[in-house]
Amino acid sequence: MFTNRVMNRQSSRFFARSAYTTLLVLALVFGATGILFAQDVEEVTITHNQGETVVPINPETVITFDLASLSTLNALGIEVAGVPDANYPESLSLYASEDIAKVGSLFEPDYELVNAMEPDLIIVAARSAAVYPQLSEIAPTIDLTADNTDYLNSQLHNAEILGQIFDKEEEVQAVWEDIAASVEAVNEVTAEAGTSLIVMTSGGEVTAYGPDSRFGWLHEELGFVPVIEDIEEATHGEAISFEFILEANPDWLIVIDRDVAIGQESEAAEQILDNELVAQTTAWQNDQVIYLDPTNLYLVMGGLGAIQETIDDIAVDLGIELDSDEEAVEEVTEETAEEAAEETPTEEATEESSE
Amino acid sequence: MKRLTLAIFVIAIFAVLSLFIGVSDVTPQTLLSNSEDGRALQVLLISRIPRTLAIILSGASMAIAGLIMQILARNNFVEPSTAGTVESASMGILFVTAFAPGMPLFGKMLVATIFALAGTALFLRILQQIPLRSVLIVPLVGMMLGGVISAITTFFAYRLELLQSLNAWMMGSFAGVLRGRYELLWISLILTLIAYIAADQFTVAGMGQDFTTNLGMNYNRVMTLGLIIVSMVTAVNVVTVGMIPFLGLVVPNVVRLTFGDNVRLAVPWIAVLGTGFVLICDMIGRIINFPYEIPISVVIGVIGSFIFLYLLLRRNARVA
Repeated sequence: MFTNRVMNRQSSRFFARSAYTTLLVLALVFGATGILFAQDVEEVTITHNQGETVVPINPETVITFDLASLSTLNALGIEVAGVPDANYPESLSLYASEDIAKVGSLFEPDYELVNAMEPDLIIVAARSAAVYPQLSEIAPTIDLTADNTDYLNSQLHNAEILGQIFDKEEEVQAVWEDIAASVEAVNEVTAEAGTSLIVMTSGGEVTAYGPDSRFGWLHEELGFVPVIEDIEEATHGEAISFEFILEANPDWLIVIDRDVAIGQESEAAEQILDNELVAQTTAWQNDQVIYLDPTNLYLVMGGLGAIQETIDDIAVDLGIELDSDEEAVEEVTEETAEEAAEETPTEEATEESSE
Repeated sequence: MKRLTLAIFVIAIFAVLSLFIGVSDVTPQTLLSNSEDGRALQVLLISRIPRTLAIILSGASMAIAGLIMQILARNNFVEPSTAGTVESASMGILFVTAFAPGMPLFGKMLVATIFALAGTALFLRILQQIPLRSVLIVPLVGMMLGGVISAITTFFAYRLELLQSLNAWMMGSFAGVLRGRYELLWISLILTLIAYIAADQFTVAGMGQDFTTNLGMNYNRVMTLGLIIVSMVTAVNVVTVGMIPFLGLVVPNVVRLTFGDNVRLAVPWIAVLGTGFVLICDMIGRIINFPYEIPISVVIGVIGSFIFLYLLLRRNARVA
C-alpha cells in the first residue's frame, strides 16, 4: 500500500508537470490564435456622451433609436436592422416598411425584441438617451446626442464616429464637403436677405423659436438673422399671437408645420398663417415664406441626409442653385411639380395613415 | 338686480382693459392720433375685439353648460370635462381630421357635437344604473368614462401620428382668435339664450323625474334639450378655442352657494362671473410672459383646481 502510494505520488507529479507544460503550450497556441481572431474582429473604442464603449468595426446587426444616425447611415449606404416605430420622411421611407424590425418607440425600447436580435451595436440619442444604461447591458451602445448650441460641428462629429465604426471615413468627408459647400452658398444669400423668424404651427396655434432652440442652427449656422434675439429656449417654443408676428415683421418667415402628418403638405400651416395680420408682414407680401419638412427637422433632428435635404429645400426657396448638388435640387423641384400635378394628395395620405 | 348691474359694469371695465393688452401698440392715444396708417385701429378690429368677444362668449356659455350638466346629472361636481363630453367632442375632431381633413370648421363642429351628444348620453345612462348616487361617485364615474374615451382617442391619435396635434387642439387658448376665426362661438350665445328661456323648466327638472312628471312636464324633453345645449356649447368651444378646464364647475358652484338652485336667478350671474373669470385669467396669461403667451387652460387649470379642491373639501360638501 505504502510503496504504491509513493509510486502514485511520483507518477502524479510527473503527470502534473507534463500537464503544466501542455497547458502552457496550449495557452501559447490559443493565445496566438486569439490575437489572430482579435485582428479578424477589429474593435474600436468610441468616446460618446455617456462614457466609452468598445464597438466592433463594421458591426453586422445594428439597431438605432436615433433617427439622425439613421439618416447618416442611410446617406453612407449602410443598412440598419432595427429602428423605432415612427413617421419616416420620404428619404427614409425604406425603414417605414414592416420588413425592418420595429424595436420600440422613439423613447422606449422593446427590450425583449432588442435582446432577441442580438445586436452588435445600438445607437441612442436625445429622446432615447435615458435608456442607455439598460441597453448597454444588452449590447455595445453609444449615445450620439447632438449639441444644439454647436449644431453642425456636433453633427459632423457624430457622423465621423459612425464613419469610424463602419470604416467609411472618406465617404463621410465627401458628403460633408457637399453640406459645407451648401451652407456657404446659403450663407452668402442669407447675410443680405434681412431678418427672419422661425415659427411652428400646430393645431391652430403658433409658437416661436429663437437661436438657442432646437431649430436655432438655421440662425446660427445658415446665417438667417433673427428678428428677435432673445426668444427663450423651450422645447416647443414660446406661444405667440399673430400680433407678435405682425410687430416683429420679419423679412423671412420660416415655418415648420407639426400637423403635416395628416398629409396636407404645409396646407394647414398656410391656412393658419394666412390671415389679415400676417398678411401685412414683409415676409408674406414678398412671398418670402419658407415651409420646411418637419419630419427632417422636428423628428429626425439631424443626420447627414436630413441636413442636406433641409438645406436643399431652403436653397430652392432662396433661389440658389447649389453647384455641388444640382441633382438634389432638381429632385426637389421635380417633387414639388409632381405634387402640384396631383389634384388630391390628401385622400391618398389619409388612406395611408388610416391603415 | 342692483348687484348684478354692478357686476356687469365691473366686467365691462375688464373687457375694455383687455382690448388694450397685447403686443401691438394699441392705446386710446394711438387710436385717436391715427398715425402710422391706422395700424392701431386695424389691430383693434382684426385681433383685440374678436378676442375679447370670444372670451365673453366662451366664458359665459361654458359656465352655463356646466350648470345645465349639474342639473341633468343632479350633482354639483359635474361639468363637460368631468362627464366625458369634452373627451367625446375631441374624439369627433380626431375622427374628422383623420377621415375628412378638408372639412370646413362648421362641419367639424357638427361632427364634434354628435360625438359629444353620444358621450354625454352614455354618461347619463350609466348614472341611471348606479344605485347609490353618492355625491363624489358621480364625477368619478364621469372622469373614468372620460378617461376611457380619451384613451381610445389617444390610441388612434398615436397610430395616426396626430398625438401632438390633438394636444394642441385640446389646449384652450385665445391666442389664435382673429376676425373670421371665432364667429362659430356666436352659436353658443343663441344656446345660452335658449337656456335662459328654459330656465324654469331646468329648475323643475333638477328636482327629479317623478316631481317633474307630477307638475305635468315632459321630463325627457327637458333632459334632451339640456343635453343638446351642453353638447353643442362644448363642441363649439373645443373646435374654436380648445378645452377650458374647471370653468363649468367652479363658476356655477360659487353662484349656487349664494343663490340656491333657482336657475332663472343663477343664469345671468353665472354668465357674468364666467366671463369675468375667463377674462381675468386670459389677461394674466397675456401679461406674465409678455410678449409671449401662456395658454388660458394652464392659467385656469392652476386657479380652478384650487377652487375645485376647496369646494370638494368644504365641510358640508357631502350635503350639497
